[in-house]
Amino acid sequence: MKIDFILNDKPVSLVTEPMRRLLDVLREDFGLTGTKESCGEGECGACTVLLDDKPVTSCIVNLIHVQNKKVLTSEGISQKPLGKLLIDCFDETNAVQCGFCFPGFLVSSYYYLKSEGEPNLEKIRTALSGNICRCTGYQKIFDSVMMACKRKQEQEK
Amino acid sequence: MNFYKPKNLIELFEISEKIKGKKYFLAGGTDINVQIKNKIITNEPIIYINELEELKGIRETEEDLILGALLSYKELLDSDLIEKHLPFLKNSLCNFASPILQTMATIGGNIANGSPTADIIPLLLVLDANIILMAKSKIRYLLLNDFFIGYKKFNMKKNEIIGGVQIAKNAEKGYKTYYRKVGSRKALTIAKVALAGLKKNNEFKIAVGSLNEYPRRLHKIEDYLNVTTSPDSVKIEELLQQEITPISDMRSDKDYRFQVCLNLLLNFIEA
Repeated sequence: MKIDFILNDKPVSLVTEPMRRLLDVLREDFGLTGTKESCGEGECGACTVLLDDKPVTSCIVNLIHVQNKKVLTSEGISQKPLGKLLIDCFDETNAVQCGFCFPGFLVSSYYYLKSEGEPNLEKIRTALSGNICRCTGYQKIFDSVMMACKRKQEQEK
Repeated sequence: MNFYKPKNLIELFEISEKIKGKKYFLAGGTDINVQIKNKIITNEPIIYINELEELKGIRETEEDLILGALLSYKELLDSDLIEKHLPFLKNSLCNFASPILQTMATIGGNIANGSPTADIIPLLLVLDANIILMAKSKIRYLLLNDFFIGYKKFNMKKNEIIGGVQIAKNAEKGYKTYYRKVGSRKALTIAKVALAGLKKNNEFKIAVGSLNEYPRRLHKIEDYLNVTTSPDSVKIEELLQQEITPISDMRSDKDYRFQVCLNLLLNFIEA
């Protein structure tokens, strides 16, 4: 089946099985290996990407789900101003340990920063509650996102 | 695995009729893909329905809200109509799965998966929701409480699909509401016990999840509470023994589940 979608702001098209997992297509067909597989059941958030601007776990999204839609991965986000701001904050806070969960956290954080952005710990914790970090570095991750929210607010003043 | 993508409901029923054996309807895919991964689904035909306009969104009539089967949890939680008429439903579901899963997970899928722990069911049961079952030339409305007949077994004909649910706009109006989901953590948790309740004077509506082969109303306890003025906890425990059949599994054990359910129930009655 022919599948067309917008991947990281560029239109792409491929002929393949519609039931393939978006995760596999991103990694194998497009070489976008920032998107990680961990649980494979939507419970850890390592494979999170944005589908039409909303977060989804790409391990349980089929390619047919993205037909004519927009997909933004951690690679795409890292090129955007808010993505760069977040990466700086994660860097300064030393929030990334082994790094495996980080692309997923980046996507969820980016979604929060863009859609809400209030420097509110409770809201940040809820927004990131679908992402699991087995190094358990949550506090620094929350600190990073809090820092990014505050910087974004300052920039907008 | 054969794959079908009907453009509308008419095509859907045509395709569905032609497939004689087992088949799966793919909506948001949050359950089906886990079943594919675990080889529970291997080669059965898949019918993709997630883009069918007829099954999307929320429709408002004079007295009811019609929630389409493809309504995602995110859409439900973001809906002004739900916020306005059914705030209890909304607030109870805000911890559903995780914010990421809420994007794709649909209410129709949550029902169709038939899990005894499906989060939305006890809530819909106390709201006296109807399930809308659609066939090629017929739509019928069935009280959700009459829809379940066994573990993953439904009161549903072969040619029918789940179209959505119908909830009266005033379903929770004037009631004191109660909802507790007990799990190991806040997000991404599957309930060990869930209890939803509505009460107004002596009128009680109570439903539980994760305690039987399918979620259900506790009618014996409701009947007792509706006639008594001073509820007796020993009597309630006795009735609860008749109403629920908790099991021990990887998430919890039956004694714990029974005790927690009783505690929640007494907590709700006294609240």
